[in-house]
Amino acid sequence: MSFDHALRLTEVLLALALIQQGLEHLRVFRRERILFGARIVLCGLVVASVASPWPLVGLAGLSLLILQRFQGPYNGGSDRLGLLALWCVMLARVLPVDQWRELAFGYLGVQLMLSYFISGWVKIVNPDWRRGVALRQVFAFSAYPVAESLRGWADRPRLLLAMSWAVMLFELVFPLTMLSQASLIAGLVVAATFHLANACLFGLNRFFWTWLAAYPAILWLQQRLF
Amino acid sequence: MANPFSLLLPALIPSWNFFDVIAASPRVEYALADSRDAALDAWTEFRPRPQSLSPAAMLGRLLWNPRWNESLYLVSCAERLVEEPTAHGEDEVFRRIAADLAGRADVAPWLSFRLLFVDPTGGREVLYQAAPRLLADIDVR
Repeated sequence: MSFDHALRLTEVLLALALIQQGLEHLRVFRRERILFGARIVLCGLVVASVASPWPLVGLAGLSLLILQRFQGPYNGGSDRLGLLALWCVMLARVLPVDQWRELAFGYLGVQLMLSYFISGWVKIVNPDWRRGVALRQVFAFSAYPVAESLRGWADRPRLLLAMSWAVMLFELVFPLTMLSQASLIAGLVVAATFHLANACLFGLNRFFWTWLAAYPAILWLQQRLF
Repeated sequence: MANPFSLLLPALIPSWNFFDVIAASPRVEYALADSRDAALDAWTEFRPRPQSLSPAAMLGRLLWNPRWNESLYLVSCAERLVEEPTAHGEDEVFRRIAADLAGRADVAPWLSFRLLFVDPTGGREVLYQAAPRLLADIDVR
């Protein structure tokens, strides 16, 4: 995948993910409708490839106003990756030197890889995760399960122990999938399935679309490095 | 109010420590009263999750999930309010509860909310309770 192709694919997927999020904000509050209405228009310009790179610059500026409005990311980790992807893609479009542009886009790929590896590391050093207790607690009392019936999963300790280890091991070995394009694609399919499960069980739909949007960056980075 | 660049920095240099520790989890509860000084004893959980959800509904939420995402935002607000109370955090919770109550008839005029935290042992503790506000004074536009 060429740099230009990967960058274009990332900006389009990201713009579509931001449009999906933006539509959810148009329901109730006037100030949010203004901010997210503007974001949807700018994302539309990105998808249509009109006036590039200025819609991306506008989106980056708007992201500061949205951060100010909510005093932080609206939805934690998913919005953080969305912001990171937006700023990396914007810099990859506006920086004047090719190497700097590659560095900005490559940083997104590196952070995507780290998002899995560090998540696995912080879990495996915690005895509660290694014993399956942490995942049991997520289902038993956390705010995430989308239905009360899912809390019953907390009573299936062997299943949760197996799920905990599957998640930790996958996240930890993810960097090794970058050794070849085939293994990376297989790793990203597994990762996307993991995000899909999180979206279904915990309602984390924004993670699914945002992480998917950043996949072209890591696919390009793999080709660039290996 | 934090400046937006300081809020952007953790996104540009992320920590990626998702679910590293499963901390006590907040529930937002609200109560209505006829007067500011009335005793608040009938607390209602704000947006309790449904008993069950079909696979089709779960998949549908991939594309349209505003209320759940707003509830997750309120979890963030609740955690921030307990760590460092701010008018912004309190306003956000009040505004969203009031918006949900806006279409309902026979609603008492004073609204309060509290943040109940559930810990891993199942223990429950109220760590924050907001002073009552007049519903009519809360901007829900």
